[in-house]
Amino acid sequence: MTDTVQLTAERAEAAAEVSVRDLTVLYRTDQGELPAVAHADIDLPTGTITGLVGESGSGKSTLALSLMNAIPAPGRISSGSIQVNGVGDVTRLEGRALRRVRGRALGYVFQASQNSLNPLKTVGKQLLDLGRAHDVQDMRGLVRRARELADEMGMDGARVLDSYQHELSGGMRQRVGIVLALVLNARVLILDEPTTALDMLSQAAVLEIVRKVHRQEGLTTLVVTHDMGVVSEIADRLAVMYGGRIVEDGPATEVLQRPAHPYTRALIGATARITGDTDTARALPGRPPDLTTVPRTGCVFRERCPLAMDVCAETEPQLLTWAPDRRRACHADPATTAATGEGA
Amino acid sequence: MIEARNITRTYRTRGAFTGERVVQALRGVDFTLPRGGAVSFIGESGCGKTTLGKILTGLETFDGGELVVDGVELSTVPQRRRASYFRRIQMIHQDPYSALNPTRTVDQILGDPLRMRARQTGDRAAGVVDRAAELLELVGLEPDGVLPKYPHQLSGGQRQRVVIARALTVDPEVLIADEAVSMIDVSMRLGILGLLRDLRTRLGISLLFITHDVATARYVGDGGELHVIYRGEVIERGPTDTVIQSPVHPYTQCLLSAVPVMRGLEEPGPDRLVPLAALDERTRTPGCLFAPRCPFADERCTAEHPVLGRTGGVEQEHACFHPVPRRVVAVETV
Repeated sequence: MTDTVQLTAERAEAAAEVSVRDLTVLYRTDQGELPAVAHADIDLPTGTITGLVGESGSGKSTLALSLMNAIPAPGRISSGSIQVNGVGDVTRLEGRALRRVRGRALGYVFQASQNSLNPLKTVGKQLLDLGRAHDVQDMRGLVRRARELADEMGMDGARVLDSYQHELSGGMRQRVGIVLALVLNARVLILDEPTTALDMLSQAAVLEIVRKVHRQEGLTTLVVTHDMGVVSEIADRLAVMYGGRIVEDGPATEVLQRPAHPYTRALIGATARITGDTDTARALPGRPPDLTTVPRTGCVFRERCPLAMDVCAETEPQLLTWAPDRRRACHADPATTAATGEGA
Repeated sequence: MIEARNITRTYRTRGAFTGERVVQALRGVDFTLPRGGAVSFIGESGCGKTTLGKILTGLETFDGGELVVDGVELSTVPQRRRASYFRRIQMIHQDPYSALNPTRTVDQILGDPLRMRARQTGDRAAGVVDRAAELLELVGLEPDGVLPKYPHQLSGGQRQRVVIARALTVDPEVLIADEAVSMIDVSMRLGILGLLRDLRTRLGISLLFITHDVATARYVGDGGELHVIYRGEVIERGPTDTVIQSPVHPYTQCLLSAVPVMRGLEEPGPDRLVPLAALDERTRTPGCLFAPRCPFADERCTAEHPVLGRTGGVEQEHACFHPVPRRVVAVETV
């Protein structure tokens, strides 16, 4: 395990494939423009799998979508930059250049990708549409590549291309989503809730495939999920989001073993696990905030926080490095957050 | 409370070109759910666990076997009088977003079944308002805040609590929870599971818990039984902890191996197992249904059908010719 940690640290020092700096995404509501993501700073180190975890409404999907500069109206990226290796700042791209980057540099597998396939066309036809939209000259090569990827994922490539989406199981549709995301040789793979709506066996199979494709294709991968179990199974690095802020990040095993933000600790304690004492696990009190109920001043988590102090209501904690390769946004002493006991 | 004996259900569909397609959703399931007890059914999609829940709530018919509720065999009860038996068995659906009418407030959602119940029991309708508030408090919601709200104004966890409160309006003795937490944010799941456990101990309500997520079955409380169902047949059953800690059927072992490992807190079990192929519910075999996907299948498994029983000196019941306990479940490291 020490090896992995060391490796991850080295990679983090090496170039990041994607660097997000000071990213703010605003959504227009009847209460004015409110931030769904506020001042987010995060790197996706080349060759790693990063897990982005949070409850619904935490802004994790918005952050993932903004990597493609694909925030739908009434939202917009209001400030910040997203540097993608070999592409430049994605937030500055538009039109044709932006369309090129989506697919060729960044592959996105949508939430419920089971339902994002066209029910009226075979997977093969949709692949050709994709090729035409991206001005692919060598269509045969594209099909060959798709079959190769499908075979790699344990499917019969030729059969899959001839299938309609209803002929495929949930797990297979998810794999087709990954094939379509990677067929243009994207270097960065973004998966939004890849295993929601799948049963345990399909989930395990999809995670195994993500791991395998990630390694074989030498990708940089971002997995967005609300399930702590899923990320801890496959991620090298973990970033936790709450109320539009990244509140903690670091190497996955370290964050799981020694969470330094009370929210991370509570989230781990609230996960139904197959081991451990069922009596010590407990749900988070309160409910996750949405755009309009996020506290406007101070720490966004303070209303549900067991460690909240006066300062938490006044000053918003910054995401700062507190130990090598570990960052957190919390006013409390790191020793306190780690020592508040299981599921506090 | 509920006793099911050899329940079978077969679906036949006929396509214009494909010919008859037969799916045996349930192939003789029996179990006993005692008062205040908890029985969990686990299995992958398409294993028949949802059909079972529907049959028990009267939403689906069955073609063979007996269903006994409170000592009365339901087939002896005339159709029009069965409703009073199914009233005692209420369902909590998977998706709290579609289980509530979006145009009605919580007040109305609870009020209607309460008034109906009051007419049945001869109580005065005046008690309805108090009862609604009482039920909301029971499920951990604050009545004054929640009663005037529409479902979209509540979080997923709160909505599922309203669904549970609605199920309780007709004084049920059994709750059937079909994937009751799988659509809810992970952070809220334990709250709902804790509530179901509370209802068992405080009201003596029995719980039939249907899920694909084995880990959640651990949280429904003491004395729970786990039944593993595969293609409509129970292939292993016993006390929840026993089945999780020392499963003997390879299918159970595959299911348990698939539970994500919290790396850093847990280590994967040394004998983790993966099924050889995906589920194909059309294959017919005289032998073990799981044999085509089983890493340990031999000639006997493809020729002869194993029946549920206690053999090979194993504590729990199983349907396998080669029951071997394997350490597939993650092990805690801290």
